[in-house]
Amino acid sequence: MKKILAQAMKEFRLFRRDKLLIMLAVLMPVVLILLAGGTQSLRLRNVPVLVYDFDNTPLSRTYIETYGAALTFRFVSNKGESPERALASGLGRAALIIPQNFERDARRGGGPIVQLLIDASDSNSATALGNMSAALNGSFNQKNGLAPPPQQTVSLQQRLWYNPGLVSRIYFGTGGLGMILIIFPALLGALATAKEYEMGTIIQAYASSLTAAQWVLGKALLYVAIGFMEFLMCFVVGMIFFSYHIPTDPTVLLVATVLYLMAGVFFGMMLGIGTGTQSAAIQGVQMGSFLLSLLLSGYLFAIVNIPVQIRWFSYTLPATFYVQIVRNSILRNVGWGTSFGPVLALVGLAFAFYFINVLQMRKMQFKA
Amino acid sequence: MNAFLRRYFALATKEVQQLRRNRGLVIQLLLPPTLVLVIFGFALNPKVRNLRLGVVDESMTYESRGFIDALTGNVNFNVTEVYTRPEDAEAALNNLDLDLFMVIPADFARTLNRGQTADVQVVIDAVDANTAQIAQGYLGKALGDYNSSANILPVAYYVPRRTLNRAAHPAPPPGAVDVRPAYLYNPGLVTTWYYVTGIMSIIMFITASLVASALAVKEKETGTIEQLMMTPAQTSEMLLAKTSPVFVLMMVVLFIALITGIVIFGLPVRGSLWLFALAGGCAALAGIGIGVMISTVSKSQQQAQLLTFFVNPVMTLLSGATSPIDNMPDFFQKLSLIDPLRYMVTIIRGVTLKNAPWSALWPNLLVLAACAIVLFSISAWRFRKQ
Repeated sequence: MKKILAQAMKEFRLFRRDKLLIMLAVLMPVVLILLAGGTQSLRLRNVPVLVYDFDNTPLSRTYIETYGAALTFRFVSNKGESPERALASGLGRAALIIPQNFERDARRGGGPIVQLLIDASDSNSATALGNMSAALNGSFNQKNGLAPPPQQTVSLQQRLWYNPGLVSRIYFGTGGLGMILIIFPALLGALATAKEYEMGTIIQAYASSLTAAQWVLGKALLYVAIGFMEFLMCFVVGMIFFSYHIPTDPTVLLVATVLYLMAGVFFGMMLGIGTGTQSAAIQGVQMGSFLLSLLLSGYLFAIVNIPVQIRWFSYTLPATFYVQIVRNSILRNVGWGTSFGPVLALVGLAFAFYFINVLQMRKMQFKA
Repeated sequence: MNAFLRRYFALATKEVQQLRRNRGLVIQLLLPPTLVLVIFGFALNPKVRNLRLGVVDESMTYESRGFIDALTGNVNFNVTEVYTRPEDAEAALNNLDLDLFMVIPADFARTLNRGQTADVQVVIDAVDANTAQIAQGYLGKALGDYNSSANILPVAYYVPRRTLNRAAHPAPPPGAVDVRPAYLYNPGLVTTWYYVTGIMSIIMFITASLVASALAVKEKETGTIEQLMMTPAQTSEMLLAKTSPVFVLMMVVLFIALITGIVIFGLPVRGSLWLFALAGGCAALAGIGIGVMISTVSKSQQQAQLLTFFVNPVMTLLSGATSPIDNMPDFFQKLSLIDPLRYMVTIIRGVTLKNAPWSALWPNLLVLAACAIVLFSISAWRFRKQ
């Protein structure tokens, strides 16, 4: 134990001298959690819509107003361009075209047809826009007496739990915590080990009385501690911007965080030992932990949507489980019962990476 | 041949030879546009299907079962389990075994048969706001179908058979306005196209900045930069010679990515290819510019890469490659204006999916080119100072 602490102290002294690393360690989590939580959102808002009103009657204007009142749309000028050209130019993401004689046809019972051209290059938004226009159209018909009010035999009383305002920020803000805590500890771990190889000081570790396990643990201890500080920082930022709440039973989150950090650091050290150079290790971390976790961990999209052939990969990423635990604890406020499985998975992954570390080291170490 | 060209070719040859020996770099350049693009293209999918629906049926009547059938006739809902008490369903929702559950009250059938409106409670796990919103939409549609079909037949006696009558979508009553959405550019609503084009741009940019910063700083680290300074070559020539092989490589990467997109994901290229190449070229220059600039402010290869590591996620998240810029808060929308990757993404999508007119693309192209020029000037200036 003493040896482990001594190793950690040595690491700390080295870390303290690297100003750039310290700056990044403080700045990066805060900036990134704001971005990761704030910029990603699949909910439509402010959709620029081009309006082509060829009727120009009170009813057609009322129709347009129905869309404006939905708060999802923002009308933009079409600058005299044809709808196809305006959409291709990206002036708007949809074009609402109201035909001539719109009001006359509606009053006579002719059933005028309004066209909505949607830029479907983002198919998710396009689907949502199509659905929304159908709903708005229905409410327009009812309000203006063009259709009988719907016969309500059954009415649904909907309750949205855990996130009643349907705020994307809350979803991505909590997932963002997982993104940040995997990048930095893994990076530090990778750099610290790769550096020893580059400088050749690894020989000293071989020659010392430290066992492989002690060496690995001592190094990891410091970076897990730094990671934990970052966790606390991010949590405070999250409480201000992403309405984090301290869960009733914080033990799950704390235990999971420590395990997650361990998994991240061990993963980074694995890359560091494996590649032996700092630049290769950094690239490995960028690919292996940042990009993979960003895209495959369920931070952006549900894991069930990933094709089965690739889906197993998600379950080798610690981030998959941690993001789930964070959302369970902070948003759903459920305790050990729900999060037990993911915590167990984190334990498994952390130990798997740890053993790889020890194996990698043992191969090279002199017999004590 | 004049002196400038001679020096340039000599330096460029040196760079190419160095690059050829760096096998790690080749892997680093070839892996992202092929393997990574394929994995992410398939993996990113915001569609919502197979929602796990729990049912608490306190009514246990023909009517309630008919209603459940009507909702689950929709492919998007799977009834995972039927509970007897709402508390059990609540616990299941907490345990993530369900996405939503529905409580049909004991007086459901009686209320319906009286001709009154029966209430059914639906509880949705809204942690994922997007999924919850879509689930609401599905529910609303299924309910609309149920209600409109219920009007065709007397409610009380034909409930179980009602599901058979609902095959056709109910036509709007005469006189009512109908809206016809037309999905341009992607009528099949293929999700992958959006993400493949986004990731293509990200890969270009990240790789360009990483490789450029690593190469530029290497001379400094190994000390060979002193030798370069002694040669008659100008700073600009050195920069040019250093970056041009990287530029060529990035263009190769870009086209490998495009071919991967076309072959595997059926990505259409509706615009002109030369515009795609031009935009890619400008983006590569901007990416290289960022890389070189970072390398001039940092002391070692490791520092340079750490800085790129910090810059790249920020640019990726702000670029609109993974989620539309319109959805961001206003502050981030403004911030994204200084992100060169944003323009790259716009152009790539414009050229491949939309065949956007030149008038819409050139401002983006201009900004990208300006970015590249500014970044290069700064790095040339910093380079000279050394």
